Amino acid sequence: MTDPAVPAWHAVALAADIEPGTSAGARLHDRELVVWRDSGGESHVWEDRCPHRGMRLSFGFVRGNHIACLYHGWAYDTAGQCRAIPAHPDLAVPETIRVPTYASAEASGLIFVWSEMGATPPSPPAARPLTALRSLFVEAAPERVAALLAGRFAPGPDGSFAGRLVGADVVLFLQPFTADQTGLHVTIDGAGDGALVSRAAEALRHAIEAAAPSRFASLEFAA
Amino acid sequence: MSPPRANQALEGPRLVLHDYELDADCYKVRLLLALICAPYERVAVDVHPGHEERSPAYLALNPRGSLPILEQDGLVLAEAEAILLHCAGLLPGGGALVPESAADHARMLSWLFFARGPLAAAGLARLHAMLEAPGDGPALERQALAAFRVMEDHMTAQRLAGSDWFVGAAPSLADIALFPAIALSRDFGVDHDAYPALRRWMRRLRALPGFVTMPGIPDYH
Repeated sequence: MTDPAVPAWHAVALAADIEPGTSAGARLHDRELVVWRDSGGESHVWEDRCPHRGMRLSFGFVRGNHIACLYHGWAYDTAGQCRAIPAHPDLAVPETIRVPTYASAEASGLIFVWSEMGATPPSPPAARPLTALRSLFVEAAPERVAALLAGRFAPGPDGSFAGRLVGADVVLFLQPFTADQTGLHVTIDGAGDGALVSRAAEALRHAIEAAAPSRFASLEFAA
Repeated sequence: MSPPRANQALEGPRLVLHDYELDADCYKVRLLLALICAPYERVAVDVHPGHEERSPAYLALNPRGSLPILEQDGLVLAEAEAILLHCAGLLPGGGALVPESAADHARMLSWLFFARGPLAAAGLARLHAMLEAPGDGPALERQALAAFRVMEDHMTAQRLAGSDWFVGAAPSLADIALFPAIALSRDFGVDHDAYPALRRWMRRLRALPGFVTMPGIPDYH
Protein backbone atom coordinates (compact mmCIF):
# COMPACT_ATOMS: atom_id res chain seq x y z
CA MET A 1 0.00 0.00 0.00
CA THR A 2 2.77 2.45 0.84
CA ASP A 3 5.32 0.98 -1.60
CA PRO A 4 5.74 3.34 -4.58
CA ALA A 5 6.67 0.37 -6.78
CA VAL A 6 3.24 -1.22 -6.29
CA PRO A 7 0.53 0.67 -8.24
CA ALA A 8 -2.61 1.36 -6.23
CA TRP A 9 -5.59 3.63 -5.79
CA HIS A 10 -4.95 6.38 -3.25
CA ALA A 11 -7.21 9.11 -1.88
CA VAL A 12 -5.61 12.52 -2.48
CA ALA A 13 -8.34 14.94 -1.39
CA LEU A 14 -11.84 15.30 -0.05
CA ALA A 15 -14.12 15.83 -3.04
CA ALA A 16 -15.67 18.85 -1.27
CA ASP A 17 -12.25 20.47 -0.83
CA ILE A 18 -11.78 20.76 -4.60
CA GLU A 19 -14.56 23.19 -5.43
CA PRO A 20 -15.78 23.72 -9.02
CA GLY A 21 -13.44 26.04 -10.90
CA THR A 22 -10.50 25.53 -8.52
CA SER A 23 -7.21 23.63 -8.45
CA ALA A 24 -4.90 22.38 -5.72
CA GLY A 25 -1.50 20.79 -5.53
CA ALA A 26 -1.17 17.29 -4.06
CA ARG A 27 1.64 14.81 -3.66
CA LEU A 28 1.78 11.08 -4.11
CA HIS A 29 5.06 9.25 -3.41
CA ASP A 30 6.81 12.63 -3.66
CA ARG A 31 5.44 13.29 -7.15
CA GLU A 32 3.61 16.56 -7.66
CA LEU A 33 0.01 16.31 -8.83
CA VAL A 34 -2.58 18.92 -9.64
CA VAL A 35 -6.14 18.09 -8.65
CA TRP A 36 -8.67 20.35 -10.28
CA ARG A 37 -12.37 20.54 -10.93
CA ASP A 38 -13.83 22.08 -14.06
CA SER A 39 -16.87 24.32 -13.84
CA GLY A 40 -19.01 21.41 -15.03
CA GLY A 41 -18.10 19.63 -11.79
CA GLU A 42 -15.78 16.93 -13.10
CA SER A 43 -12.46 16.41 -11.28
CA HIS A 44 -9.09 15.73 -12.91
CA VAL A 45 -5.67 14.65 -11.64
CA TRP A 46 -2.58 15.40 -13.71
CA GLU A 47 1.11 15.79 -13.41
CA ASP A 48 1.53 19.23 -11.82
CA ARG A 49 3.82 20.68 -14.45
CA CYS A 50 3.19 22.98 -17.39
CA PRO A 51 5.14 21.53 -20.38
CA HIS A 52 6.22 25.06 -21.28
CA ARG A 53 8.39 26.12 -18.34
CA GLY A 54 7.70 23.49 -15.71
CA MET A 55 5.57 25.78 -13.55
CA ARG A 56 3.17 23.97 -11.22
CA LEU A 57 -0.26 24.06 -12.87
CA SER A 58 -1.85 24.05 -9.40
CA PHE A 59 -0.69 27.66 -9.07
CA GLY A 60 -2.77 28.47 -12.14
CA PHE A 61 -6.45 29.08 -12.63
CA VAL A 62 -9.46 27.21 -13.94
CA ARG A 63 -11.68 28.81 -16.56
CA GLY A 64 -14.67 26.77 -17.65
CA ASN A 65 -13.32 23.38 -18.71
CA HIS A 66 -9.70 24.52 -19.09
CA ILE A 67 -6.87 25.00 -16.61
CA ALA A 68 -4.33 27.70 -17.42
CA CYS A 69 -0.76 28.16 -16.26
CA LEU A 70 -0.02 31.14 -14.03
CA TYR A 71 3.17 31.99 -15.94
CA HIS A 72 2.06 32.50 -19.53
CA GLY A 73 -1.56 31.40 -19.61
CA TRP A 74 -1.14 28.24 -21.67
CA ALA A 75 -4.57 26.63 -21.38
CA TYR A 76 -5.26 22.87 -21.30
CA ASP A 77 -8.52 21.02 -21.92
CA THR A 78 -9.83 18.20 -19.74
CA ALA A 79 -7.72 15.64 -21.63
CA GLY A 80 -4.52 17.54 -20.85
CA GLN A 81 -4.20 18.82 -24.41
CA CYS A 82 -2.94 22.38 -24.78
CA ARG A 83 -5.60 24.42 -26.63
CA ALA A 84 -4.43 28.02 -26.37
CA ILE A 85 -1.16 29.94 -26.10
CA PRO A 86 -2.00 33.60 -25.42
CA ALA A 87 1.30 34.90 -26.85
CA HIS A 88 0.48 33.17 -30.17
CA PRO A 89 -3.28 33.47 -30.53
CA ASP A 90 -3.30 32.36 -34.17
CA LEU A 91 -1.16 29.28 -33.64
CA ALA A 92 -2.73 25.84 -34.15
CA VAL A 93 -1.33 24.27 -30.97
CA PRO A 94 0.60 21.05 -31.75
CA GLU A 95 -0.91 17.81 -30.38
CA THR A 96 2.42 17.09 -28.71
CA ILE A 97 1.89 19.83 -26.11
CA ARG A 98 0.03 17.74 -23.58
CA VAL A 99 0.13 17.29 -19.82
CA PRO A 100 0.50 13.67 -18.60
CA THR A 101 -2.65 12.60 -16.76
CA TYR A 102 -3.58 10.10 -14.08
CA ALA A 103 -6.73 8.01 -13.91
CA SER A 104 -8.93 9.29 -11.10
CA ALA A 105 -12.35 8.62 -9.64
CA GLU A 106 -14.62 9.99 -6.95
CA ALA A 107 -16.15 7.69 -4.36
CA SER A 108 -17.22 7.98 -0.72
CA GLY A 109 -16.70 11.74 -0.80
CA LEU A 110 -13.02 11.36 -1.77
CA ILE A 111 -10.97 11.79 -4.92
CA PHE A 112 -8.90 8.70 -5.68
CA VAL A 113 -6.01 8.54 -8.12
CA TRP A 114 -4.30 5.50 -9.66
CA SER A 115 -0.64 5.94 -8.84
CA GLU A 116 0.70 4.91 -12.27
CA MET A 117 0.80 7.88 -14.63
CA GLY A 118 -1.14 7.36 -17.86
CA ALA A 119 -2.06 3.76 -17.01
CA THR A 120 -5.45 2.14 -17.46
CA PRO A 121 -6.31 1.04 -13.93
CA PRO A 122 -8.48 -1.72 -12.49
CA SER A 123 -11.88 -0.51 -11.33
CA PRO A 124 -11.71 2.24 -8.70
CA PRO A 125 -12.58 1.73 -5.01
CA ALA A 126 -16.26 0.93 -4.56
CA ALA A 127 -18.41 3.77 -3.27
CA ARG A 128 -19.29 3.32 0.40
CA PRO A 129 -21.81 5.24 2.49
CA LEU A 130 -19.12 7.24 4.29
CA THR A 131 -19.12 10.90 5.32
CA ALA A 132 -15.84 12.52 4.33
CA LEU A 133 -14.81 14.69 7.29
CA ARG A 134 -11.36 16.18 6.78
CA SER A 135 -7.80 15.65 5.58
CA LEU A 136 -4.80 16.03 7.78
CA PHE A 137 -1.09 15.63 7.21
CA VAL A 138 1.27 13.76 9.48
CA GLU A 139 4.99 14.47 9.69
CA ALA A 140 5.97 10.79 9.56
CA ALA A 141 6.87 8.28 6.85
CA PRO A 142 3.90 6.54 5.16
CA GLU A 143 5.10 3.01 5.98
CA ARG A 144 5.58 3.99 9.62
CA VAL A 145 2.11 5.55 9.78
CA ALA A 146 0.61 2.44 8.18
CA ALA A 147 2.38 0.20 10.70
CA LEU A 148 1.21 2.31 13.65
CA LEU A 149 -2.38 2.49 12.37
CA ALA A 150 -2.43 -1.28 11.86
CA GLY A 151 -1.96 -1.71 15.61
CA ARG A 152 -5.21 0.10 16.35
CA PHE A 153 -7.32 -0.07 13.18
CA ALA A 154 -8.29 -2.87 10.81
CA PRO A 155 -6.58 -2.58 7.43
CA GLY A 156 -9.00 -3.06 4.53
CA PRO A 157 -8.31 -4.46 1.06
CA ASP A 158 -8.56 -0.94 -0.42
CA GLY A 159 -5.74 0.35 1.76
CA SER A 160 -8.06 1.97 4.28
CA PHE A 161 -8.04 1.56 8.06
CA ALA A 162 -11.31 1.02 9.93
CA GLY A 163 -11.82 1.52 13.63
CA ARG A 164 -13.27 3.80 16.28
CA LEU A 165 -12.47 7.36 17.35
CA VAL A 166 -14.36 8.96 20.27
CA GLY A 167 -17.21 6.51 19.88
CA ALA A 168 -17.65 6.92 16.13
CA ASP A 169 -16.88 4.33 13.45
CA VAL A 170 -14.27 5.84 11.18
CA VAL A 171 -12.43 4.79 8.05
CA LEU A 172 -9.04 6.41 7.41
CA PHE A 173 -7.53 6.58 3.92
CA LEU A 174 -3.77 6.92 3.77
CA GLN A 175 -1.98 9.03 1.16
CA PRO A 176 1.78 8.42 0.78
CA PHE A 177 2.60 12.10 0.42
CA THR A 178 6.40 12.29 0.51
CA ALA A 179 9.04 10.02 2.02
CA ASP A 180 8.43 11.63 5.43
CA GLN A 181 4.90 13.03 5.24
CA THR A 182 1.61 11.17 5.11
CA GLY A 183 -1.89 12.36 4.32
CA LEU A 184 -4.83 10.92 6.25
CA HIS A 185 -8.33 11.39 4.91
CA VAL A 186 -10.83 10.84 7.69
CA THR A 187 -14.34 9.55 6.99
CA ILE A 188 -17.14 8.65 9.38
CA ASP A 189 -19.10 5.43 8.88
CA GLY A 190 -22.58 6.10 10.22
CA ALA A 191 -23.36 8.61 12.95
CA GLY A 192 -20.72 10.64 14.73
CA ASP A 193 -19.94 14.12 16.00
CA GLY A 194 -17.74 15.59 13.27
CA ALA A 195 -16.11 18.22 15.48
CA LEU A 196 -15.18 15.63 18.12
CA VAL A 197 -13.86 13.14 15.57
CA SER A 198 -11.84 15.90 13.92
CA ARG A 199 -10.15 16.76 17.22
CA ALA A 200 -9.57 13.09 17.96
CA ALA A 201 -7.88 12.80 14.56
CA GLU A 202 -5.55 15.65 15.58
CA ALA A 203 -4.70 13.74 18.76
CA LEU A 204 -4.04 10.64 16.65
CA ARG A 205 -1.71 12.69 14.43
CA HIS A 206 0.12 13.87 17.55
CA ALA A 207 0.45 10.32 18.86
CA ILE A 208 1.82 9.07 15.52
CA GLU A 209 4.35 11.88 15.33
CA ALA A 210 5.46 11.25 18.90
CA ALA A 211 5.93 7.54 18.15
CA ALA A 212 7.57 7.97 14.76
CA PRO A 213 10.20 10.68 14.91
CA SER A 214 10.96 12.37 11.62
CA ARG A 215 13.02 15.39 10.74
CA PHE A 216 9.92 17.47 11.47
CA ALA A 217 8.91 15.65 14.63
CA SER A 218 9.71 18.54 16.93
CA LEU A 219 7.45 21.20 15.48
CA GLU A 220 8.36 23.96 17.83
CA PHE A 221 6.89 27.38 18.34
CA ALA A 222 9.08 30.43 18.54
CA ALA A 223 10.05 31.12 22.11
CA MET B 1 -32.55 76.80 2.65
CA SER B 2 -29.11 76.01 3.87
CA PRO B 3 -26.37 75.29 1.37
CA PRO B 4 -25.17 71.72 1.00
CA ARG B 5 -22.88 70.79 3.84
CA ALA B 6 -19.19 71.01 3.11
CA ASN B 7 -18.16 67.50 2.22
CA GLN B 8 -15.50 67.34 4.89
CA ALA B 9 -17.41 64.57 6.63
CA LEU B 10 -17.55 62.63 3.40
CA GLU B 11 -13.86 63.11 2.83
CA GLY B 12 -13.05 61.72 6.26
CA PRO B 13 -9.73 61.88 8.06
CA ARG B 14 -6.55 62.32 6.07
CA LEU B 15 -4.49 59.14 6.23
CA VAL B 16 -0.86 58.85 5.22
CA LEU B 17 0.60 55.34 5.00
CA HIS B 18 4.36 54.93 4.90
CA ASP B 19 4.53 51.78 2.88
CA TYR B 20 6.81 49.23 1.22
CA GLU B 21 5.22 47.22 -1.57
CA LEU B 22 6.91 43.90 -0.66
CA ASP B 23 6.28 44.17 3.10
CA ALA B 24 3.62 41.72 4.28
CA ASP B 25 2.72 43.93 7.27
CA CYS B 26 2.22 46.97 5.05
CA TYR B 27 0.03 44.78 2.84
CA LYS B 28 -2.29 44.05 5.79
CA VAL B 29 -3.04 47.77 6.05
CA ARG B 30 -3.43 48.25 2.29
CA LEU B 31 -5.78 45.27 2.22
CA LEU B 32 -7.98 46.64 5.01
CA LEU B 33 -8.14 50.10 3.46
CA ALA B 34 -9.02 48.56 0.08
CA LEU B 35 -11.75 46.37 1.57
CA ILE B 36 -13.45 49.37 3.22
CA CYS B 37 -12.75 51.66 0.22
CA ALA B 38 -10.90 54.20 2.37
CA PRO B 39 -8.81 56.74 0.47
CA TYR B 40 -5.27 57.33 1.71
CA GLU B 41 -2.02 58.84 0.67
CA ARG B 42 0.81 56.38 0.15
CA VAL B 43 4.46 57.25 0.75
CA ALA B 44 6.76 54.62 -0.78
CA VAL B 45 9.74 53.86 1.47
CA ASP B 46 12.95 52.45 0.00
CA VAL B 47 13.38 49.49 2.35
CA HIS B 48 15.43 47.30 0.03
CA PRO B 49 18.17 48.09 -0.62
CA GLY B 50 18.00 51.62 0.88
CA HIS B 51 16.91 50.81 4.50
CA GLU B 52 15.25 54.21 4.45
CA GLU B 53 12.98 53.17 7.33
CA ARG B 54 16.09 53.33 9.53
CA SER B 55 17.24 56.72 8.24
CA PRO B 56 17.44 59.56 10.79
CA ALA B 57 14.31 61.15 9.34
CA TYR B 58 12.28 57.94 9.66
CA LEU B 59 13.67 57.11 13.10
CA ALA B 60 12.49 60.53 14.19
CA LEU B 61 9.00 59.56 13.02
CA ASN B 62 9.09 55.97 14.29
CA PRO B 63 12.00 55.07 16.60
CA ARG B 64 11.21 51.36 16.10
CA GLY B 65 12.56 51.58 12.55
CA SER B 66 9.67 49.49 11.26
CA LEU B 67 6.92 49.72 8.67
CA PRO B 68 4.07 50.32 8.21
CA ILE B 69 3.61 53.73 9.80
CA LEU B 70 0.25 55.49 9.72
CA GLU B 71 -0.10 59.24 10.19
CA GLN B 72 -3.49 60.75 10.85
CA ASP B 73 -4.12 64.24 12.21
CA GLY B 74 -0.97 64.29 14.35
CA LEU B 75 -1.21 60.66 15.41
CA VAL B 76 1.80 58.54 14.38
CA LEU B 77 1.12 54.84 14.72
CA ALA B 78 3.42 51.84 14.15
CA GLU B 79 2.67 48.07 14.07
CA ALA B 80 0.22 46.74 11.50
CA GLU B 81 -2.27 45.21 13.92
CA ALA B 82 -2.57 48.45 15.91
CA ILE B 83 -3.12 50.32 12.66
CA LEU B 84 -5.80 47.81 11.64
CA LEU B 85 -7.64 48.33 14.93
CA HIS B 86 -7.38 52.10 14.70
CA CYS B 87 -8.58 52.27 11.09
CA ALA B 88 -11.44 49.85 11.75
CA GLY B 89 -12.61 52.04 14.62
CA LEU B 90 -12.15 55.31 12.77
CA LEU B 91 -13.34 54.70 9.23
CA PRO B 92 -16.79 54.06 7.75
CA GLY B 93 -17.29 50.35 7.13
CA GLY B 94 -14.47 49.40 9.48
CA GLY B 95 -16.79 48.49 12.33
CA ALA B 96 -18.14 45.53 10.37
CA LEU B 97 -14.69 43.92 10.65
CA VAL B 98 -14.65 44.05 14.46
CA PRO B 99 -16.94 41.56 16.25
CA GLU B 100 -19.42 43.10 18.65
CA SER B 101 -19.61 40.40 21.31
CA ALA B 102 -16.94 40.60 23.99
CA ALA B 103 -15.93 36.97 23.49
CA ASP B 104 -15.54 37.25 19.72
CA HIS B 105 -13.73 40.56 20.11
CA ALA B 106 -11.25 38.85 22.42
CA ARG B 107 -10.92 35.91 20.00
CA MET B 108 -10.09 38.37 17.24
CA LEU B 109 -7.44 40.00 19.45
CA SER B 110 -6.05 36.58 20.25
CA TRP B 111 -5.52 35.91 16.53
CA LEU B 112 -3.97 39.35 16.06
CA PHE B 113 -1.45 38.44 18.76
CA PHE B 114 -0.93 35.08 17.08
CA ALA B 115 -0.10 36.92 13.85
CA ARG B 116 2.58 38.87 15.74
CA GLY B 117 3.76 35.86 17.78
CA PRO B 118 4.08 32.30 16.42
CA LEU B 119 3.16 33.32 12.87
CA ALA B 120 5.90 35.97 12.75
CA ALA B 121 8.30 33.10 11.95
CA ALA B 122 6.68 32.86 8.49
CA GLY B 123 7.49 36.49 7.77
CA LEU B 124 11.07 36.01 8.92
CA ALA B 125 11.44 32.80 6.88
CA ARG B 126 10.24 34.71 3.81
CA LEU B 127 12.67 37.58 4.33
CA HIS B 128 15.46 35.06 4.93
CA ALA B 129 14.67 33.27 1.65
CA MET B 130 14.00 36.37 -0.46
CA LEU B 131 16.25 39.10 0.87
CA GLU B 132 18.87 37.02 2.67
CA ALA B 133 17.84 38.50 6.01
CA PRO B 134 19.78 36.86 8.85
CA GLY B 135 18.18 33.90 10.62
CA ASP B 136 18.12 30.13 10.92
CA GLY B 137 16.13 29.26 7.76
CA PRO B 138 15.19 25.64 8.59
CA ALA B 139 14.22 26.54 12.17
CA LEU B 140 12.07 29.45 10.98
CA GLU B 141 10.38 27.17 8.44
CA ARG B 142 9.58 24.56 11.11
CA GLN B 143 8.08 27.27 13.33
CA ALA B 144 6.05 28.61 10.40
CA LEU B 145 4.76 25.09 9.65
CA ALA B 146 3.69 24.71 13.28
CA ALA B 147 1.78 28.00 13.09
CA PHE B 148 0.15 27.08 9.76
CA ARG B 149 -1.00 23.80 11.29
CA VAL B 150 -2.70 25.66 14.13
CA MET B 151 -4.50 27.79 11.55
CA GLU B 152 -5.42 24.79 9.36
CA ASP B 153 -6.89 22.87 12.30
CA HIS B 154 -8.82 25.95 13.42
CA MET B 155 -10.29 26.57 9.97
CA THR B 156 -11.18 22.89 9.67
CA ALA B 157 -13.13 23.23 12.92
CA GLN B 158 -14.71 26.45 11.67
CA ARG B 159 -15.81 24.76 8.44
CA LEU B 160 -17.34 21.89 10.42
CA ALA B 161 -19.15 24.52 12.53
CA GLY B 162 -20.45 26.21 9.39
CA SER B 163 -18.22 29.29 9.31
CA ASP B 164 -15.88 30.48 6.56
CA TRP B 165 -13.92 32.85 8.85
CA PHE B 166 -11.47 32.75 11.74
CA VAL B 167 -13.81 34.40 14.26
CA GLY B 168 -17.59 34.06 14.33
CA ALA B 169 -19.54 33.98 11.09
CA ALA B 170 -18.13 37.06 9.32
CA PRO B 171 -14.75 38.34 8.16
CA SER B 172 -12.82 40.30 10.78
CA LEU B 173 -9.44 41.94 11.24
CA ALA B 174 -8.15 38.49 12.24
CA ASP B 175 -8.60 37.23 8.67
CA ILE B 176 -6.74 40.25 7.29
CA ALA B 177 -3.84 39.91 9.74
CA LEU B 178 -3.43 36.16 9.16
CA PHE B 179 -3.80 36.10 5.36
CA PRO B 180 -0.42 37.43 4.12
CA ALA B 181 1.80 34.88 5.90
CA ILE B 182 0.14 31.82 4.35
CA ALA B 183 -0.66 33.49 1.02
CA LEU B 184 3.06 34.33 0.64
CA SER B 185 4.42 31.02 1.97
CA ARG B 186 5.57 29.92 -1.48
CA ASP B 187 8.16 32.71 -1.27
CA PHE B 188 9.99 30.46 1.21
CA GLY B 189 9.13 27.16 -0.43
CA VAL B 190 6.00 26.09 1.48
CA ASP B 191 3.18 25.06 -0.86
CA HIS B 192 -0.48 24.94 0.06
CA ASP B 193 -0.91 21.24 -0.70
CA ALA B 194 -1.35 20.27 2.96
CA TYR B 195 -3.77 23.07 3.83
CA PRO B 196 -7.20 22.39 2.28
CA ALA B 197 -9.06 24.41 4.92
CA LEU B 198 -6.75 27.41 4.49
CA ARG B 199 -7.05 27.18 0.70
CA ARG B 200 -10.81 27.35 1.02
CA TRP B 201 -10.60 30.30 3.44
CA MET B 202 -8.14 32.14 1.18
CA ARG B 203 -10.56 31.74 -1.75
CA ARG B 204 -13.36 33.23 0.38
CA LEU B 205 -11.16 36.13 1.41
CA ARG B 206 -10.01 36.80 -2.14
CA ALA B 207 -13.65 36.96 -3.22
CA LEU B 208 -14.45 39.85 -0.84
CA PRO B 209 -15.33 43.06 -2.74
CA GLY B 210 -12.32 45.37 -2.92
CA PHE B 211 -9.72 42.62 -2.33
CA VAL B 212 -6.24 43.56 -3.59
CA THR B 213 -3.12 41.44 -4.01
CA MET B 214 0.57 42.19 -3.53
CA PRO B 215 3.61 40.86 -5.42
CA GLY B 216 3.82 37.12 -4.67
CA ILE B 217 0.05 36.67 -4.41
CA PRO B 218 -1.31 35.78 -7.86
CA ASP B 219 -4.13 37.94 -9.12
CA TYR B 220 -6.56 35.72 -10.96
CA HIS B 221 -9.73 35.27 -8.94
